[in-house]
Amino acid sequence: MNDIVNLQIWQFSLIYLLLLIVLAVMKKCRINQAKLMIVASIRMTVQLALAGFVLTYIFQNPHPAFTVAYLLAMTGFAIYRVLDKNRMLNRRFKAIIAVSVAASGISVLAFFIGAVVGESLFSPRYVIPIAGMLMGNTMTGVTLGLKAFRENLTGQSAHVDAMLNIGAKPEKILLPFVRQSLEMALLPTFNSVIGMGIVSLPGMMTGQILSGTLPITAIMYQIAIMIAICTVVCLSSFGALYFGYKTLFNQRNQISLDVVGRRYAE
Amino acid sequence: MQFILSADGLMFQTLIKYPPIEIPQAQTTFISGDSGSGKSTLFKLFNATVSPSKGTILYQGKNISAIDTVCLRREVLLASQSVFLFDGTIRNNFVEFFKYRELAAIDESAINRFLHICCAYFPLDTACETLSGGERQRVFLAIHMALSPTVLMLDEPTSALDEGTAHRMMHQVKVYCQQNQITLLVICHDSQMVKAFADKVIILERR
Repeated sequence: MNDIVNLQIWQFSLIYLLLLIVLAVMKKCRINQAKLMIVASIRMTVQLALAGFVLTYIFQNPHPAFTVAYLLAMTGFAIYRVLDKNRMLNRRFKAIIAVSVAASGISVLAFFIGAVVGESLFSPRYVIPIAGMLMGNTMTGVTLGLKAFRENLTGQSAHVDAMLNIGAKPEKILLPFVRQSLEMALLPTFNSVIGMGIVSLPGMMTGQILSGTLPITAIMYQIAIMIAICTVVCLSSFGALYFGYKTLFNQRNQISLDVVGRRYAE
Repeated sequence: MQFILSADGLMFQTLIKYPPIEIPQAQTTFISGDSGSGKSTLFKLFNATVSPSKGTILYQGKNISAIDTVCLRREVLLASQSVFLFDGTIRNNFVEFFKYRELAAIDESAINRFLHICCAYFPLDTACETLSGGERQRVFLAIHMALSPTVLMLDEPTSALDEGTAHRMMHQVKVYCQQNQITLLVICHDSQMVKAFADKVIILERR
């Protein structure tokens, strides 16, 4: 039942007309973001077109090295994006984040492809799109968790100092902040799971149905990917925060809160 | 005379150089000096929340760099000048602080005794968010007294109090410490207070 309408370029181009409506609304309300919208649309078009060419090439020449290279590039980019938003963290913390993102992403991916789908780990058709969804969500989850961690600690130096001064262990002082931040990293994923199927038909499922897959198969894939996303967000945020926070104090139990822009020795 | 804490050739970063310092045991020592002379930093060096760039500190004759810092801080207790209390009742704050210290909570009569020493005559159900700055300072101090330190370091404990309350509280704190062989260290600017309560005065200068 592979009867999807193949889009012709001229037909496809019609969709860009909708952007004129967005532009008109923005003009009416004097929102001066027209430039951003145009740049964003062009960037998206170029990036996706490039991805399309690369994917077409890889699918026609399915060499394991290409799959691995694509996977590494994706993982590297995800790590780069997370670290770029958290430049003030110390180096050990950054290394822990990188390992957490890569290890949790790749291990859940391997389980998904190898055990659940039962395909080769080098099959680009399965590995690349699934890895993209997993890595993208991990990136958002970890970024959110670290942001929450920094914000939770901001303005808490009197709290941290007071507890340190009465001889509380650094773990005991900082763990409540870790727990709170982990919760905030997980909530959006859980919320999107709850709304699924009622509020929205998720992108992957829609795509599969459009391309002729039986809805029941599409649904099974969707459930599988959602559980995989939850797991990968949970694992990577847990790893980044739970092992990362330990880099904030030394063997003398001195806490350095430079994550929140304050050096201890002041 | 026996010294419970002593420091020699002490330096913090390259900014602060300290003269030799000796703190007599079970007495009240006041520390004063201009701002920037390193008074608060000295307390942080004593409880090892910061490390000196040079010099040694001895606690009961032992170099503090060889002492587990958590154990040290439980004995050499610092009530810093930035007061922190959890949101919630006074009773709840005692419970929380004791939990962080891994100690069993003390009973209400004991809590009241420490509050009274610090001139904090408030019911235990008072929400700490509703207290004024001076009231919070006294509750904060009472909690530290209750944690039974060997050395109690108070960084400007009366900064938010009126003169009468400050004197009354300092008197009661000093009497309690004398009775319980607690070494008391106080950073204070008020020369009246220093004259009234100090057994020894250390004056730090900016160098």
